[in-house]
Amino acid sequence: MVYLMTSLPSLTFGQVPPISIDEFNHDAKSQLSARHYRLLESVDIQKMNESEVKESSIASLFSELQEDLTEIRNARTEKRQPSLGRLPKAVISGNPLQREENIIKWQWEELDTIEVGKTFTFTEVLVYKLKLQLLIRMNSFNEARGAEILASVVDPQKNKEGK
Amino acid sequence: MAGIKIKYTKTERARQKKILKVSERMLPLFEAMEKSLMATINTISERIDEIRDQIEKNRKAAEPWTAVMGDSWVNIDEFISVNKIITKPVDVAGVRVQQYEKVDFNLMPMKEETPLWVDDAIELMQEQLQLLAEIDCLKNQIDLLEEELLDVRARVKLFENRRIPNAKMAIRKIGQKLQDDERLTIATAKVVKTSKQGEI
Repeated sequence: MVYLMTSLPSLTFGQVPPISIDEFNHDAKSQLSARHYRLLESVDIQKMNESEVKESSIASLFSELQEDLTEIRNARTEKRQPSLGRLPKAVISGNPLQREENIIKWQWEELDTIEVGKTFTFTEVLVYKLKLQLLIRMNSFNEARGAEILASVVDPQKNKEGK
Repeated sequence: MAGIKIKYTKTERARQKKILKVSERMLPLFEAMEKSLMATINTISERIDEIRDQIEKNRKAAEPWTAVMGDSWVNIDEFISVNKIITKPVDVAGVRVQQYEKVDFNLMPMKEETPLWVDDAIELMQEQLQLLAEIDCLKNQIDLLEEELLDVRARVKLFENRRIPNAKMAIRKIGQKLQDDERLTIATAKVVKTSKQGEI
């Protein structure tokens, strides 16, 4: 655990991911026990409800976030103000991009809190993977790519002609 | 007129006069139809421009956040597709065309883990796809109206350049021929009368 964590590059919010998930997995596989690696492999920030990890603070963070997102969606359908459990209201203001970035930043800060005092523990490795996934996701927000995707759905014919 | 055989008879003159009368009555109707079709096509073209402006306006309004559509977690194609464009038949300037009603979308239900931005993107995409479908319908209308316009223009030209001048010329020629025949008959009768009087 110590060797793995000291060999990984540090992560800063907003930076370009310094390593890929494959590189991280490769390093983790060589440094962790088979049991820990299997647990780590089951962790995916997109599918936290399917994860085998029972680390309560991480599990509750993501399940409560999920509940809040469902509440936001329901409130929007019912045209009312959402009643949020964990997510601060300020986080969900702004345009869809700002909102998504705010949610990622909030998740990052919550993960920061979770890893306090957990240096060189499996929790720190888990948090590292989750933060790396957050960075990779945030780095995929790209104006040109987004415009291309919008055009491919909205006007596929024009898009084909353009190419 | 060249190559057309004219029967120099009173019946033919009457027939040509009837053709001229009908043609002169029909020409203004076709000219009015031509104007109406042109005006309708212009109105539809203006509507297309308005819709294009709206599409551009929507795109510009979404520009500050389109970056989020690059999200590696989401494949937005899976969430929305057009099932069917619903139209209804209407008569525009006397032509049966399809008028845009609405778009029937295939929408995938949102999962719990689907990011919130997807809702906004779907809303924007629905709006844009509806506007584009309306443009497609209007373009089809223009195609049909232009086809009809070509047909009407051909008829106007036919009346202006062929039917009316031909009928007028035929009437004139038949008139001249009949007049000549009448003069010849009178002259012949006079000659016969004079020669008969000389014999007496």
